[in-house]
Amino acid sequence: MKQIQGSFIKGYVRIVVTGDRPEMFIQESVNRGVTVWNIKREGRKSCSGNVKLSDIPEIRKIRRERNYKITFEERRGYPFLFSRFFRRKEFVFSFIMSILLILFMSNIIWKVEITGELPKEIEEKIATQLNAYGIHAGAWIFTIDPPAKIQQKLTDDIPELLWVGVRQKGTTYQLEGVEKIVVQDDKVEGPRNLVATKKGIIKRMYVSKGVPQVEINDYVEPGKILVSGKLNEVPESEEEDENKENRKEIVVPAEGEIIASTWYEVDVTIPLKQNYELLTGQQEKKYYIGIKNFKFPIWGFGSPDFQDVHHDSTTSPIKFLKWNLPINIIESTLSEKQLQKFERTKEEAVQAGIKQAKEELQLQLGPDAKITSEKVLHESLENGKVKLYLYITVEENIAKAQPITQGD
Amino acid sequence: MKNLQQRLRPWLVKYLALPSDVVMELPRITIIGQLHVYIENHKGLAVFTDNELRLKTTKGYIQIKGSSFVLKMMLPEEILLEGKIAEVKFISG
Repeated sequence: MKQIQGSFIKGYVRIVVTGDRPEMFIQESVNRGVTVWNIKREGRKSCSGNVKLSDIPEIRKIRRERNYKITFEERRGYPFLFSRFFRRKEFVFSFIMSILLILFMSNIIWKVEITGELPKEIEEKIATQLNAYGIHAGAWIFTIDPPAKIQQKLTDDIPELLWVGVRQKGTTYQLEGVEKIVVQDDKVEGPRNLVATKKGIIKRMYVSKGVPQVEINDYVEPGKILVSGKLNEVPESEEEDENKENRKEIVVPAEGEIIASTWYEVDVTIPLKQNYELLTGQQEKKYYIGIKNFKFPIWGFGSPDFQDVHHDSTTSPIKFLKWNLPINIIESTLSEKQLQKFERTKEEAVQAGIKQAKEELQLQLGPDAKITSEKVLHESLENGKVKLYLYITVEENIAKAQPITQGD
Repeated sequence: MKNLQQRLRPWLVKYLALPSDVVMELPRITIIGQLHVYIENHKGLAVFTDNELRLKTTKGYIQIKGSSFVLKMMLPEEILLEGKIAEVKFISG
């Protein structure tokens, strides 16, 4: 029965042979390699049997050579099913519509989930922010920004959020937020000293607890004890032996602020000429359907009327149920840019260099530090760049807590 | 020469135990109850009606009689008959 396997897939036909001795027609076709099955005698002058759809041309040939009449009765198998299916326009139409509908549904956000242990009001805030970005149930997936961008925007717009994870899982948007909790600085518990972190000259001292070990205008090296937490530390005196019992050391956590003048030497290089690009804010958007490397424009034709163009495109795949189709919607933004040239004199460059160095240093030291003076130690002009060697003095708190270990 | 070959064949079957249907070009008929008849090595269809099937062989015909015959499968040298079989007869021609 191997010969008739798969005949349903390729299609088969029931033929009725009419003529004198119809079995001879079947014998002839079998001799020519046509498989015939389920042969039945229909009457005195007719026979019926099944033949494969691919054998029909051979059957026709034999019929031409001999005096038989052939009628086709049943047509079975997928080829006939398909043709019957495609003959019905409304059926095909509804099939295409249903696929389009699934496509449409797969590219819509169905749910926005906010998880994480957040208070109600922050959750509501996130929801309203998301609404403002256009993320809500029923929005098109490819009209909204990629998750990383939303994550960035959310953390910028909602200061209460420390971190937010945005994940797109199929048709749901999952957000996980972590609330920013202002944590009190861990204070070193127990007795401690204040030691210097940097070398410098002490300018001011505010000691609220502890015994100061240094004086104003003293030069200190890193590691030097500035304020001691050990009270009652009697310097060697004559009564040492007598007081031995009373001299129980009292240790306290030293507190205070030691402002010292410290200095830094900084190198900066400033170019005299600078080129940079500036976006003017003029922009045009274009949309494409992309299949692999091919892009088919669907919206936004013609080239923009500005000269220098900055291209920026985002690609979002179309989804079908859970799969990403190889078809993408590409949104490309063309923004006008201007090339700016900037030239300055040596004096301007030096000023800019000093400013830059101060800003960098301030950033490094934090807002509490105060830059008191700066001095150009050396300047040189090389290859159109000004090289500066600066000396900057800063007033800052150099004290750091250091616990006193008992028992040594 | 052909005569010699024909005389040699039964001898081959008898003494070398070669399958007789292959050596002597005889039909091999397998009958399953009254349901099926499976014939190999025939030389073509002679008559096929609802209650009779006659096949050519090298020496005459095979006639199968019965009722409601259907040829389940037909290949150049094989045939599978289905129906209610009454008799199988060899007609020498």
